[in-house]
Amino acid sequence: MNRTQLLGRLGGLVASAAAAAPFAWLWVLMMRNADDPLTAQARLDMAIWMAVFGAPWMLAAWLLWRAWWRQAGAQLSSLDGPGWLLAAAAATLPADRRDWGAAMAAELTQVQDRPARWRFAAGSARAAVFPPADSRAAVGITGALAVAVVATTALATGAALPAGRVFAPTFVGLLGGLVTLTVARSRRVGRAGPGPAVAGLALAGIAACLAATTYYLAEFPTYHRVHPAVTSTSLPPVTAVVLAVVLAGCLGLALTPPRWLVADRHARRFGIAMAIALVAGFVLDSRLVQPGLERGSHGLMDYLINGPLLVILTGSAAAAAVGRSFRSGLWAGAWATVVAAPLLIAAWLTEALRWDQVGRGLVLDGEGGLGVGANLGDAVWWPLVFLALWALPLGVLGAAAGSWRARRRRARAHADLAPTA
Amino acid sequence: MVAFRRPSGQVSTVILTLAAAPTTWRYGYELCQRLDLTAGTLYKVLMRLADRGLEETTWERDLPAGRPPRHLYRLTGPGRVLAGDLAAEPPAPPTRARPVGALGRRPRLEGT
Repeated sequence: MNRTQLLGRLGGLVASAAAAAPFAWLWVLMMRNADDPLTAQARLDMAIWMAVFGAPWMLAAWLLWRAWWRQAGAQLSSLDGPGWLLAAAAATLPADRRDWGAAMAAELTQVQDRPARWRFAAGSARAAVFPPADSRAAVGITGALAVAVVATTALATGAALPAGRVFAPTFVGLLGGLVTLTVARSRRVGRAGPGPAVAGLALAGIAACLAATTYYLAEFPTYHRVHPAVTSTSLPPVTAVVLAVVLAGCLGLALTPPRWLVADRHARRFGIAMAIALVAGFVLDSRLVQPGLERGSHGLMDYLINGPLLVILTGSAAAAAVGRSFRSGLWAGAWATVVAAPLLIAAWLTEALRWDQVGRGLVLDGEGGLGVGANLGDAVWWPLVFLALWALPLGVLGAAAGSWRARRRRARAHADLAPTA
Repeated sequence: MVAFRRPSGQVSTVILTLAAAPTTWRYGYELCQRLDLTAGTLYKVLMRLADRGLEETTWERDLPAGRPPRHLYRLTGPGRVLAGDLAAEPPAPPTRARPVGALGRRPRLEGT
């Protein structure tokens, strides 16, 4: 086994272990923080749940590593530290400046002295990550405008919607930062986007999510728990920041996605279809399946497990099979997550109002005795937890399965065409 | 005709260095060493000059096996005109006060 193969295998093991570590840590944390001493059966049950969620991640991390190593890793393994630094920085260059990354890398091969190599690589990396803007004035004006809008939003929200005083300025500030970064990094702000369907659906989801969140913050800023009797904030600061980061991230990816995410049209189409199917399934389950079940004992938690299993796994596999590549399935899963996240939060908040009207409790698990505002935190955390912990690795596994089928078909076709002796 | 702002000190230095031997192709690392600039500063200047049509670039040919081709730089016609203008300018006074009209002066160049 040569050095490249050894590094490839070691890297796969490290990637799998790194993916498993958070789940192991979570299990240990739950065991330590349990209020009552846990039985061996309870510990085993928890471990099985961690394994159910951790195993797809371990396998997905290994598959991702293997795909990356085949593509670029073997070449990168011949690089030293400065080479890695420069290669990583050059990968962030916009498409119209990619040649400059190659120019810097070629020039680095001429620098022999090790400290000088680090200095040259660090300087070049700085130029690659922050290439010159067309107009410094435009960057300065955009940045100043962003600061002014954030300050205005903070003042206006504090006066008109106190419950949103963390969420609104954080979201607007992140947007301002994204816009300033886009102006600073690219000569062509209007570079290729993901197409009107993806951008339109993502924007619609984000707008719906913002509208629903604003409504909840205005109407249900707090909720009351009967047992024990406490009043809680519907959108605590940490949840508000997470929601702002997710929405700003989705907006950024939908309007100015990285070039590697845009190229595959199969991935975009399948991503849209998967997002729509995921959200439609959620609404149908809420409206058609749940009313037929016993009141107060069910919620949509089951759908959060089964929905991605059905939609993301099969959708990514189909995308990879149609696009005949692992990447097609991978990017389809990524687009589905980006488009579905805000739509799912908006649908959750809308359905929660219906559930409250008919006295069905929380959308998550049907728990009663809480105000409708309790759904806001659930709507932010649970779709994200399931999309990140469950849907993303399923997307990777589906992509691997779909591309494996496509490779087998291709191999069979080649074998059929090959001349027989 | 395209308008250019008066280049900063570092941009002027790079332009004048490239203009010293206008037909010679230069390497990035060579320019870094000669001008004592960091790679970060130099490559930003080179990118900006190329964006504005003041510098042309090409990839090295006839290179030894096993080495990637290097990027080469030299001034274009408008770049040389700008270099001539910069060379003809008197050196900036040492104080911060500058004559009215000197700031923001835009040499106008043909052909870009």
